[in-house]
Amino acid sequence: MQLKRPPSPLHLGLMAASCALLSGTARAQSADDAEQPLQIDADLLYYKENAGRVQTIEPVVSLKKDFGDQRLLDGTLTLDSLSGATPNGAIPARTPQTFASPSSTSLIPEPGHKTTLYTIAPGDLPQDPHFKEQRVAGDLDWSQPIGLDNTLSYGGHASTEHDFESVGAHAGLSHDFNEKNTTLSAGVNEEYDRIHAHGGNPVPGSDYMLYEKESSQTKTVTGGLIGVTQVMRRNWLMELNYAYDHSQGYLTDPYRIISVADATGAVTGYRYESRPENRTRQSLYWVNKLALGPTTLDLSYRRGKDSWSIGSDTVDAKLRIDLGSGMYVEPHARWYHQSAADFYNLYLSETAPAPNFMSADPRLAAFAATTLGIKFGVTTGRNGELSLRLEQYEQRPTDQSSALPQLQGLDLNPNLKATIVQLSWHTEY
Amino acid sequence: MRIQSYVRLAIPLGLMFFACGCTAMGVKPWQREILARPEMALNAEPIDAAIDDHIYFSKEAASGGRSFGGGGCGCN
Repeated sequence: MQLKRPPSPLHLGLMAASCALLSGTARAQSADDAEQPLQIDADLLYYKENAGRVQTIEPVVSLKKDFGDQRLLDGTLTLDSLSGATPNGAIPARTPQTFASPSSTSLIPEPGHKTTLYTIAPGDLPQDPHFKEQRVAGDLDWSQPIGLDNTLSYGGHASTEHDFESVGAHAGLSHDFNEKNTTLSAGVNEEYDRIHAHGGNPVPGSDYMLYEKESSQTKTVTGGLIGVTQVMRRNWLMELNYAYDHSQGYLTDPYRIISVADATGAVTGYRYESRPENRTRQSLYWVNKLALGPTTLDLSYRRGKDSWSIGSDTVDAKLRIDLGSGMYVEPHARWYHQSAADFYNLYLSETAPAPNFMSADPRLAAFAATTLGIKFGVTTGRNGELSLRLEQYEQRPTDQSSALPQLQGLDLNPNLKATIVQLSWHTEY
Repeated sequence: MRIQSYVRLAIPLGLMFFACGCTAMGVKPWQREILARPEMALNAEPIDAAIDDHIYFSKEAASGGRSFGGGGCGCN
């Protein structure tokens, strides 16, 4: 029988040093990577919003195969199943409001047309109760060293829904220097999407009552990212990324409308939303990994800005606390803030001419959001792990009311709350 | 869109990075035992990160910045 002693700290250090020398990257690598050529992750996400809004059940399976010499193949398959009610963009009103589900081909029931109507009670937020969607998405990535100091990676993704298809590809190159303490990275990506909404894509900005629909539309996203990773200390790793992307094509949400109100605030009609056909986004992302004894802090900040005048700040912190016996607990806090798109409005005024671009999509509004959560993990077998994550997300819009008489006292853009539960299992062979 | 403001911010940050990286910062290969811990990887929880990116992509106007990845979504 062969007795195996647990590795000493010196052994671990030498193993790590060898691994780092061979890895060709300043990023931290597991000393066990070479011994665990196949990693399997299986996750199940449950996401549920308040007030009967969207809920999601999402299984995710990921395989990572090490073919030796740091040549890695990574594939992920995601299935999304969504249901519930989703806001259609209109504001609450003092009188009942009737809308047609997007799959309808006419607002008025008539032979040869499909019409599914839903009515919203006075004071309630208009939401389409028939929202249902399934999504299948796959990612495949390959990375390999090029010489001693460079790593090449490339991959692609594809996803499909009933009303949306997306394919994309990306490639990146990283270079290590300064005794592999510094890594410079650069990458590009290209995405092509096709949008064919249920019932047809509405003509952006058109009168809702006319129900003008057109055929499928497309959009492309072209992006680039450069980054630098720096080992600061034995217990401190830092990365700074700058990302840029440009979207072009049909960027309008085909299911969103915007209310038109008169001078008293009474809703007199609706228009389909309309967004510019170009959008440029930039972001700076700064992340730190800091080991404080057996505890690990992950702290990041992201500043974003786009050509629709949306500025955003995100601060994210996770603290992984080792409880011993292969267990850990990880509290998580995230704070997010964004300003509104320059064409965002809660509603349009009947007396003013209709603008070229308009949207009441709550995602384009000014709001602050917080996420608070906790994750608990336990090792299972050799390098396996089982974990459970519980989080609460809350979004608080800045602009929720109007001084117009008919709208006073109505919550025009209510807070959003969501619960996130994720069960994860990881193993290696 | 004021690209200049980002460039103004990125240049000093980048210079600081390189200036520091080439001198006082960094470790020797035999000093990487802490950095080699799996939880010290910058993307130590890739599935969590991908799920979060997808949730926030569907609820907020800003997304990404960390890396490329994931698929498009006609999220509602």
